[in-house]
Amino acid sequence: MRALAGWLWSAALLLILSFLVLYPVAMLLLGALTNTNPVVDGFGVYDISLKNFIAVLGNPNVLLALANSLIVCGGGTLLAVAIGLTFSWVVVRTDTPCKRFIAAASLIPLFVPPLVAAVAWSILASPKTGLLNTLLASIGITWRFNAYSMFGLIVIFGIYYAPYVYMFTASALRNMDPALEEAAEISGATPIKTLFTVTFPLIAPAIISGMLLSFVVMLGIYGIPAVLGTPADIPVLTTYIFKLTNWSPPLYSTAASVAIILMIVTGFLVFLQQRVVSGRSYITVAGKAFRPGVMRLGPWRWFTLALAVVYLVVVVVLPTLALIVAGFRKFLFIRSIASLFDMKQYSLIHFERLFDNPLALRSIVNTMEVGCITAVVGGIFAFAIGYTVNRTKARGRRGIDIISTIPVAIPGLVVGVAYLWAWIGLPGGLYGTIWILALAFIARFMPDTIKALSTSMLQIHRELEEAAWICGKSLLGTIRTIVLPLARPGVIAAMTLLFILAIRELGSSLFLYTSNTMVMAVLLLDYYEGGNVGITAAFSLVQTVLLAVLIGIAHLLSRGRTDSSSVGRAG
Amino acid sequence: MMTSLLRALLLATLLVAPTIAHAQFGPPELIEAAKQEGKLVFYSANVAESEQPVIEAFNKRFPFIKVEFLRAPGNQLIQRVKTEAAAGKLLADVVDHSDRALMLEIADLFQDYAPPNAADYIPETRASPKLWPRSTVVWAIAYNSELVKDPPKSWADLTKPEYGDKQIGQVIAPSGGTTWTRAMFERQVLGEDYWKKQAATKPLLFPSNAPTSDALVRGEISIAPLLYNAIFPKLRDGAPVKVFFAPEGAPVTPFAAGITKTAAHPNAAKLFMNWCLSEEGQAFMIKEIGNLTSLKKAPLYPEGFDPKVVKVWVPNYDQFVKLQHDWIEEWNKTYGYRQ
Repeated sequence: MRALAGWLWSAALLLILSFLVLYPVAMLLLGALTNTNPVVDGFGVYDISLKNFIAVLGNPNVLLALANSLIVCGGGTLLAVAIGLTFSWVVVRTDTPCKRFIAAASLIPLFVPPLVAAVAWSILASPKTGLLNTLLASIGITWRFNAYSMFGLIVIFGIYYAPYVYMFTASALRNMDPALEEAAEISGATPIKTLFTVTFPLIAPAIISGMLLSFVVMLGIYGIPAVLGTPADIPVLTTYIFKLTNWSPPLYSTAASVAIILMIVTGFLVFLQQRVVSGRSYITVAGKAFRPGVMRLGPWRWFTLALAVVYLVVVVVLPTLALIVAGFRKFLFIRSIASLFDMKQYSLIHFERLFDNPLALRSIVNTMEVGCITAVVGGIFAFAIGYTVNRTKARGRRGIDIISTIPVAIPGLVVGVAYLWAWIGLPGGLYGTIWILALAFIARFMPDTIKALSTSMLQIHRELEEAAWICGKSLLGTIRTIVLPLARPGVIAAMTLLFILAIRELGSSLFLYTSNTMVMAVLLLDYYEGGNVGITAAFSLVQTVLLAVLIGIAHLLSRGRTDSSSVGRAG
Repeated sequence: MMTSLLRALLLATLLVAPTIAHAQFGPPELIEAAKQEGKLVFYSANVAESEQPVIEAFNKRFPFIKVEFLRAPGNQLIQRVKTEAAAGKLLADVVDHSDRALMLEIADLFQDYAPPNAADYIPETRASPKLWPRSTVVWAIAYNSELVKDPPKSWADLTKPEYGDKQIGQVIAPSGGTTWTRAMFERQVLGEDYWKKQAATKPLLFPSNAPTSDALVRGEISIAPLLYNAIFPKLRDGAPVKVFFAPEGAPVTPFAAGITKTAAHPNAAKLFMNWCLSEEGQAFMIKEIGNLTSLKKAPLYPEGFDPKVVKVWVPNYDQFVKLQHDWIEEWNKTYGYRQ
């Protein structure tokens, strides 16, 4: 009976995954290999050939875009690891003052939509008209910031995606048994040596997971390279794919082939990560009480605090100021610093125009609905998969694991096309509702959610569950009384992450929204493409305020339900 | 005596004016049926900033019709229409697009339609009997007046080395129907080698008109050929830009707009199109968003556009369709635009 239930459970999960992942991916492959739009041309027109795919491999522009993507995302990832790891160590393992502030600061960039960050930085650091450069010119310095460059892209990616590394490493550091570190210190190792030879190797899976996730997320980002890379003529895979889908006629098959290259690259990385993680035991939460030691930094603790303040200024304060200037100023032509303070140039005109457009309010409501549906449904589904894969011996769990990881490798723009092709023809009214968006987001962010959950699940020792079984609890009872309470901070963090990812998501929304289901990210791109940096900045500010309020609420909720040690994660 | 007669006439005109005014947009049955439908879905390749005021003006006349507006870049819009139609879920009642060649490919999706003032339109500007030039746009040259002290005066000036090194912004030719018109004009009117000479100044390339106009206002670039309607709102608001129509000619692109066969709100759609194509609608678009018109007799012209001086250039529409692919390829090569 129990075996049958387990079998049915696996079958149900596989069925849902097939609908969410395999079917759209199959449509994508069909598009890549046949050079047709399966919906328009019908499914009968099969002329499957590898010609497209081989042609794409030989195209120097594709290779250039691929090389640029790898350089930008690779560089960005290294920077993200340096920043994320530093702050997680500072928050969890040092006596730096204002740790709660640093913990919050380390996560804030996660909430900034990439397009908003990019627009803000183009206002700040465009080589010709950037506010920072106007400032430099006014004090007689000839050196200029240049956001429109490879280096600029790497820095922007690195600083905005560091939270992914932070999230993984902070919880791992917090839940680590300090016994080994103590042993190292007793053996005479310096604190720094202990850090690099014991602490960081121990949390290697968390570092690698964070690294992998941030790299893969960067690979799929469109907003940043579109705004900062295009003026410098630096194509990356996402901007290249967008260009292909915008061609006349659109080269979907080429776009799909490029996407397959992306999938291969990421697939390889995922494989590597699993090889690294699988061979070793990373259980650090066991049924014994402990408290990781805190390093006394002495006067250096003011230095670590200053680092956090600088980071906050760079990722939040400066861009927000730039958006405020752009959003309230009639035109963004700023000749000198003096004209920046000419109050006659400021007005509310962009905000008035924004809210004159009925779509603005509608898009906000739609986005919130989609975000909630995605977070709740996607969170539950991801927990079901994460638990099945990591903690049970259910049949087919390996397959479930692999299928649920596939979406990580498909960039949003292409996912949008795949979902459109796969789902528009289904009977019933999925197309044109916000459910099609929510389903696409659930599928697209499933790997991120499961990874976020698995890390907290991997750390819970089986002995705790075994104890519950011995006491006569059923499987569901064990999940309810042992696993959920212990993993709750992780579950809430994962749902919050999912909510934020969903309301920021642009790429896959582009093909799925309709006049009735416009979402904020798409409308923002519309305004950006519509060439009005004033309204774009005004709308960005509105979104920033909204997000800040929502995150504040989530923060309060999670604080009310969990102990203070998890603030950093849920924060 | 005369005055009282005049006064009576005036009063009479005022009293019947609303009915007459509405009658030019369609018979009362149509207006009543449109009212019943209460809304329509409108797809356009035009940016929201241009379409929003038009929708508002339409709603001043007909407040009982809600216009749901969806904007997508040119080719994406066509793909959306094709895909929705193939799945039997075409949501649009009205579609307006800049590339008549692309619209002709999907002409089957549109129903027969003609506005009450059909005879007033220049026949060639209609892409097909079903598709009408709801929007007609014109190219001008714009520059940032704070940055450029010695402005260019013609298309030919845009090849001068003194405007080199990324001072000029160019919208890529494959961007859409309007940019293709400009590229065709450059080659056919300004000379076979114009692209080469212009590309030699190393212009900064932009994906479409809208971001180009923004970059010009911000001072990222100093000079740019732009659709007049893309720079018009900023000009009106007092941005530091100046715009002129060059003596060699002003390329013009009539759009192609139609009502879908599957329209769920056919009457509202018809009323909307009738109003947009009416003299009132066209005059509004000229005055408030900086369009031209394809009416034989233009009700007015945009500021700075003297029809006696400006040479309007319209493409040969056969060539517009036939030359597009090969010439765009060449343009891409000449400008080093990656494929």
